[in-house]
Amino acid sequence: MGPAAMKVALFITCVNDGLFPDTPRAVVEVLERLGHEVVFPTEQTCCGQMHLNAGYRPEGLHLAQRFRQVFSDYDVIVSPSASCVGTVRELYGDSARAINDAVLEEELEDIASRVYEFSEFLTNVLKVDDVGARFTHRVAYHPTCHSLRVLGMNEGPKNLLRHVEGLELVEVPNEDSCCGFGGMFAIKNAATSSAMGDDKLTSVSSTGAEVLCALDNSCLTHIGGLSSRQDSKLRIMHLAEILAAQEPTRV
Amino acid sequence: MSRVFDTEKPFPKLAKEALQDQQLRTNLAHATTTIRDKRKRVVAELSDWEELRDAGAAIKDYVLGNLDTLVVELEKNVTRHGGVVHWARDAQEANDIVVALVKATGEKSVVKVKSMATAEIELNVALEKNGITAYETDLAELIVQLGDDLPSHILVPAIHKNRSQIRQIFLDEMGKSGLPAPSNLTDEPADLAAAARAHLRDRFLSAKVGISGANFIIADSGALVVVESEGNGRMCLTLPETLISVVGVEKLLPDWQSLEVFLQLLPRSSTGERMNPYTSIFSGVTPGNGPSAFHLVLLDNGRTSALAEPDGRDVLRCIRCSACLNVCPVYERTGGHSYGNPYPGPIGAVLVPQLRRGERTPLENSLPYASSLCGACYEACPVKIEIPKILVRLRSEVVDEKRRDHAHNPELVAMSFVESSFSSSKKFEGAIRLGGFIGRLRRGKPLRHLPPPLNKWSATRDAPVPSKESFRSWFKETHPSSDNAATKKSLSPLRKLMPENRNPFNDKKKVTTSSSAKDAILATIAEANDDAHESKANRAQRNYLLAGTRSLDERVELLKDRLIDYRASVTESTSAEVPALLQRLLEARGASSVVVSADFPDGLLQEVRATVRRDEPALSTSELDDIDATIVGCAVAIAQTGTIVLDSGELQGRRALSLVPDHLIVLINDDQIVELVPEALPRLRPNDPQTWISGPSATSDIELERIEGVHGPRILDVVLVRS
Repeated sequence: MGPAAMKVALFITCVNDGLFPDTPRAVVEVLERLGHEVVFPTEQTCCGQMHLNAGYRPEGLHLAQRFRQVFSDYDVIVSPSASCVGTVRELYGDSARAINDAVLEEELEDIASRVYEFSEFLTNVLKVDDVGARFTHRVAYHPTCHSLRVLGMNEGPKNLLRHVEGLELVEVPNEDSCCGFGGMFAIKNAATSSAMGDDKLTSVSSTGAEVLCALDNSCLTHIGGLSSRQDSKLRIMHLAEILAAQEPTRV
Repeated sequence: MSRVFDTEKPFPKLAKEALQDQQLRTNLAHATTTIRDKRKRVVAELSDWEELRDAGAAIKDYVLGNLDTLVVELEKNVTRHGGVVHWARDAQEANDIVVALVKATGEKSVVKVKSMATAEIELNVALEKNGITAYETDLAELIVQLGDDLPSHILVPAIHKNRSQIRQIFLDEMGKSGLPAPSNLTDEPADLAAAARAHLRDRFLSAKVGISGANFIIADSGALVVVESEGNGRMCLTLPETLISVVGVEKLLPDWQSLEVFLQLLPRSSTGERMNPYTSIFSGVTPGNGPSAFHLVLLDNGRTSALAEPDGRDVLRCIRCSACLNVCPVYERTGGHSYGNPYPGPIGAVLVPQLRRGERTPLENSLPYASSLCGACYEACPVKIEIPKILVRLRSEVVDEKRRDHAHNPELVAMSFVESSFSSSKKFEGAIRLGGFIGRLRRGKPLRHLPPPLNKWSATRDAPVPSKESFRSWFKETHPSSDNAATKKSLSPLRKLMPENRNPFNDKKKVTTSSSAKDAILATIAEANDDAHESKANRAQRNYLLAGTRSLDERVELLKDRLIDYRASVTESTSAEVPALLQRLLEARGASSVVVSADFPDGLLQEVRATVRRDEPALSTSELDDIDATIVGCAVAIAQTGTIVLDSGELQGRRALSLVPDHLIVLINDDQIVELVPEALPRLRPNDPQTWISGPSATSDIELERIEGVHGPRILDVVLVRS
C-alpha cells in the first residue's frame, strides 16, 4: 500500500490542538495505519494565519519565522488544515515580498515546499484511495475556499470519501460558494458572515446529509456554530475523522 | 439634487442594514445567479480563455509600464483626427472642464452614456450646480436617476431593483421629466424597455451635447472604443453635435491588435455574452459622420499615485467588467450600496483605497475587510487581478496607520497579546491548559455567550468548548518514545519585523510642482515607472487562437447559429435573389420607407416597393427617424461571436443610418465571414468610424435577463449572400 514508510512531521495548528484534538488524533491514526511514522515537534504553536490575513504583517511574519525554525529539520510536514497550509504556501512568500525581504522570502518559500494538507498528502504523495475506513452515513463535503481555490483540491478529498466503506457522499448545491467564515471577517462583518453561513447551512441541509465534513475546522466551527444554535441535528466532522473511522456496523 | 453616497458609516454597518432588506437579497441572489451561469457558459466555450486572460493582464501591464509615452501618443493622434484633449488631475478639474465645455455650447442639458469615470467624479452634481441637466440614458442608470437612487453595480447599476419595483418607478417618475410611462405598463422587461425607448427617443434626437466614458482608448490611432448593449451609447456618440468623453488614463491600449483580446474578455466576463450588441469605435471628428466637435478629458484622480504602488498598478488593469461582483458572496448579500461609492464589490474594495491613497475615510479603510478572502473574484477576473492578496496587503496598510495614530487601539492590544501567546510553546501550552479547564467546567456544552468583541461571534453562532485533553498531551502519553528531537530544539532569536521596515517602492510622498495638469500627470507617471521594478514590461505573447479552422460552409453555419441566438433572423441567398428577398423582408415587417447610403446600387433595390431614400444630401435626424428601415452592407462578420462590423465603407454610409430606423437589414457576402475575433481586426482600419453589431439592440438591465429591443433597431434581418 503506497510508497515506503515515511517520517511525517505533524503541523496540527493552534486551533486543533486545544479545540479539536480529535482531528489531529485521526490524522495520526490514519498515517500510522498506513504504516508511516508520525512525529510531533512540540515547539509548534500557530502559523500566523490570523495575523497575516488581518493585516498584522510583522506579527504574522514573526510567527512565520518561528514556524520555519520549528519545522526546518523535516522533509514532509502534514497538516489537517487547508487554510493553514494555504497561508504557508501563498501568504508567507507574498508577505515577505511586500516588505522587500528577499532572504526571508526564500526561507519561507523553502519551508512551504515541504508542507502538505493531509488529504493532499494521501492523494498526491502517498497516492492512496482507500485508507481502510468504514463510516455508514450520508455525508456532505464542503470544499472550503482555501482547499478549493488556494490549494486547488476538490476531487482528491471526494475520492477519499467515496472509498470509505458504507459512506454515501451527497452533492451540495453551490458547493463552491464560501461559507462566510473568513477569519476576522466572521467578527468584523459578523452579520454578513452569518448570512453567508445560513445560506451554506440551507444548501447542506437540502441534501439530507447527516454529517458535514471539510478540510478546515475553522470553517466547520462557523457552520457548526450556526447549526448548533439552530438546534440542527447535523453532525460536523473533519474529513480526517471520517477517514479514521472504523465503525463496526456493515451496511 | 443628485444623490451622493453616504460615507459616514463603515462597511459593516451599511452591510448590516442592507442585510435586513429581504427584497434586496432576493433580487441580488436572482440576478447574480443568472449572470454567473451565463458567464460560466460562454467562458467555457473558449478553449483559449486562460491564454486570453494572460494576454489581457500582460497588455495592461505593458500599458501601465509605458503609460507616459502612450498617453502622449494618444493625445497626438486624437488631436490629429480633430479632437481636443484635456487633462484633469482630479475630479474638480475634470468637472470644471466639462462644465465649461457644455456652457460654451449654450446648452442647458446633455445626454449621457453610462460611465464609471463620470460617476466617480460626480459629474452630474457638478453639472446640476451649474444649471445643466444631465439625462442618463442607459436603462439601469435611468432607473437609478428616476428613482433618485444610487448605483449599486458597475455594469447594472439598478441590479438591486426587480421588475415590479422598476415598473413603479417608471409610472411614478417618467412623467415628471418627459414622456410619461403608459398607464397600462406591465412589469414585463420588454415592456419596461419599450417605455424607456419612448421616454428617451426625442431626447436623443434633439440632444446637442453627449457625454460618455470609454472602455478603451487606443494610443497608436487615437480611436475610442465604447462597448454597450442598448444603442443609447450609439445615440449619444453619434447624433449630438458635441461629444465629451471623460476617460481614466489607465484605459489605454497600445494598438489596434490589442482589441482582439479585450473584445473577447470583456463581453463574456461582464454580461456573459459572446459579444455585446453594440461597440462604437471612432477617432476624433469624421466630417459628416458623427459629432462635429469632440473633447477627450483624460482623468487622473488618483490613478497615477496608485501606479506608484505595486498593488495599485495591478488594480489599474481593471476593465470594469464586474465579473468579480457577480461571483462575490459578500456582494451578493450586501449589495453595492454598502460599499459607499460607485465601485462596489471586490474590485471596489481594492480600487477605491488605491485611488484614495493618503486621504482615505473610515469607510474606505473598512473596505479591505469587506471580504472573506474566498478567492472567487480572482478566479473570475479576466485580467487576473489577485484581489485577495491585494486586500490582505491593504489591510496591512490600515493596521499600520492605526499603529501610528492609535497605539492603544483594543484590537492592536489584543492581536499583540495573541501573538505573544504564540511566541513560545510554554505560553501556548498555558493557554491550552486554561482552555481545558474551561472545557471541564462546561462539560462539553458549547458556549453561547462570549465577551466583546467575541460576542459578535456568539450572537448567531455557538462557540466550541475547549477540549479537556489537548492533542499535545495525548500525543505525549501515546507516543512516549517518538522521535521528538525538535522538542529539545532551541529556536534562534527571530528578527522583529516592524512596520517601519516596510519599504515598497514608493512610500515617499511625491511632490510635484509642475504648472499644467498634463505636466503634473506625466511627471507622476514617469516617477512611478522609474521606481517600479518592471516598468517597461514586454509586450504580450499571442498564445491564444489567432485563426479558426472551419471551412466556409461551417463558418456560415456558425454565424447563422450565433445570430439566431441573438434573435436576429437570417436568410441565405444567391446574389441574383437578393433584390426580391429585400422586398420580401421589408414587406414582412411592414416597412413603407427605407434608407440606403449614397453608393448603394440601384440594381439591388429594383424590386423594392417601399419609398427609397438615399442619404444624399444627408438626411436630418428627424427625417431618419421617420423612415422605417435601413439596408446596409458590411465590412466583415465574425462567426464565433455573431458579430457584423460596419466601418462606414461601401454600401454602408454614416453610422446614424444603421442606428435610427427601427428595422435593419444587413447584407453579408460569404467572403466577408471570418471565424474568430483576431481574424477580423486586420480587415479593418482603426480610424474608420465603426459599429460592431451583434444582434438587435438589447439590454440585461432588468434582473440580468437579456431582452431584445431598446434604443437601436429592434429588428435585425441578415442576408447571407452565397457566392
